[in-house]
Amino acid sequence: MKTLLLAAAVAAGLAMPGVARANDKLTLQLKWVPQAQFAGYYVAQAKGFYKQQGLDVTIKPAGPDINPSQVIAAGGADVIVDWMPDALAAREKGVPLVNIAQVFQKSGLELTCRRDSGITSPANLKGKTLGVWFAGNEYPFFAWMAKLGYHTKGAHPDVKVLKQGFNVDPLLQKQAACISTMTYNEYWQLIEAGMKPAQLIVFKYQDEGVAMLEDGLYTLQKNLKNKAMVGKLARFLKASMQGWQYAINHQKQAVKIVMSNDTAGVLNVTHQARMMQEVAKLIPGGKHGLGYLQPSAYTRTVKILLASKTDPVITRKPVGAWTHKVWNAAFKH
Amino acid sequence: MRHAVALTLAAVLIAALARAGLAAGWQGPAVLGIGLLATAAAIAAMAGLSASDTLAARIATPALFGALLLWLWEMLVVGLHISQVLLPSPSAIAQAFTTHLPVLGADFRQTVLRAVVPGYILGCGAGFAVAIAIDRSPFLRRGLLPLGNLASAMPIVGIAPIMVMWFGFGWQSKAAVVVLMTFFPMLVNTTAGLAEAGTQEQDLMHSYAAGYGTTLRKLRLQAALPHIFTALKLNSTLALIGAVVAEFFGTPIVGMGFRISTEAARLNLGMVWAEITVAALAGSASFGAIALVERAVTFWHPSFRD
Repeated sequence: MKTLLLAAAVAAGLAMPGVARANDKLTLQLKWVPQAQFAGYYVAQAKGFYKQQGLDVTIKPAGPDINPSQVIAAGGADVIVDWMPDALAAREKGVPLVNIAQVFQKSGLELTCRRDSGITSPANLKGKTLGVWFAGNEYPFFAWMAKLGYHTKGAHPDVKVLKQGFNVDPLLQKQAACISTMTYNEYWQLIEAGMKPAQLIVFKYQDEGVAMLEDGLYTLQKNLKNKAMVGKLARFLKASMQGWQYAINHQKQAVKIVMSNDTAGVLNVTHQARMMQEVAKLIPGGKHGLGYLQPSAYTRTVKILLASKTDPVITRKPVGAWTHKVWNAAFKH
Repeated sequence: MRHAVALTLAAVLIAALARAGLAAGWQGPAVLGIGLLATAAAIAAMAGLSASDTLAARIATPALFGALLLWLWEMLVVGLHISQVLLPSPSAIAQAFTTHLPVLGADFRQTVLRAVVPGYILGCGAGFAVAIAIDRSPFLRRGLLPLGNLASAMPIVGIAPIMVMWFGFGWQSKAAVVVLMTFFPMLVNTTAGLAEAGTQEQDLMHSYAAGYGTTLRKLRLQAALPHIFTALKLNSTLALIGAVVAEFFGTPIVGMGFRISTEAARLNLGMVWAEITVAALAGSASFGAIALVERAVTFWHPSFRD
């Protein structure tokens, strides 16, 4: 019996094609729940791009009150999707995050208002109630308010700010004149809830000059000192951008793949298709290719963050907060 | 007692030396040795203090124990280089506390004074009133009590967003959540308390031709007071929890729940812990105040007799 088992084990070992090493493990922490905002990574996984690069990637979704920078600080991930203001703030607080790729070249954050509240331009915002997301998404809003010269705190603020949940009810119920929305998500939730585009007026932070860099890939500084880790991250980046390019070119398939990753069963196909369409508009931008962080865009974000005198997000100019090392290893041979 | 005081002083001095040594960069084993010495002195001091029965000794023992725990926390966080975004040291928390006192005060006013207090009064009052109604009418007892049971089982993280949708983002929705949380304990305890009056005493009232109202006021409510105070003490902590959690779901940009959730997301853990300290102090103070009133009013109860 023992001889038989031994023979079987040897046969199984010989039968395997020359596998030099097991796939390298890597954990990616997303910024929100599984949705088309992260289609590129799910597509790369489903289409085997990660496997081709010899990677075994675990994609961890997030949700309300899950902060990717805290997850990576606690050792729960190797690379995270995060927005730049949040990453820079974390860096200043002692979590040494470094940007290794900028996936979204354009910003999708906007303030959507009801026309029947009398708002026609930013000048009308005074005296109104505005819903704002927090948890890392509030920085462009406060930068814009500072630019417009509106006070948001104290006994008699120029605008009344509400901490909005991640839904659109405050606008529908007229509890707020304006709410924070993404071009690819909550705006369409309003339309799907029955509002007409003519009833809404939208202020895109990109157009107001206070847009900040959104979805990017970040890792801890110590990972960049490890040559093997840099190699792993470069392969991950290459496969991820491949996934994004595929998702942009085959949107219907990408939506299907995202839906299959929806374990909670809450995603709606039409909404995800629209999200994929809008996200695809935000990703391309530079002449260098997908995922390249434009240093000018970084500098602009830092400038806006440092300019806010009230409630500054960062107090010092960040040093070493981004690198092209991984991008170059992935795409420049 | 004198030995205990001397040991306490010694413990405090050695502990301060260990902390200073850590800051100055002394070697790990040296700091560990001094630290163990300080802990031993503190434990010996507490042993000595617990032998004495004076008021000073009774306060000093828990105070010394609390100080020892805080010092251990400080030493471990600083000595083991634990990231401040995971667990800040007590000194960092104290610094955040003193730097942001106005903000903490504004948050306290918004949450405790504007949401907890009205909700607490309304919730406890409603629970009490319904308990009297149930006492009066057996039909209500059979109908309302199970419904009250159901209401109390609703999870707060489910009710809070609904309250925000119904009552808006202001203090009203938070007070509504507090009402829902404090209603049932008050109801159940008052009902139980009203059953406490002895049959002999009730017969005596009957023999005096005392009506329902007089019997209630002069006998049954008095007998129910210990239970009612239990509910009041329990509700004081529930009310604070309810208001803070309700603020996670929609609030203007002031309030303890708002501050905790946003500062945690911004990795300002020192501020989060400062808010937690304010909440703990507020909760303990209200619990203690109610306990003092209880002692004064229900002095006759066996639990207060030595």
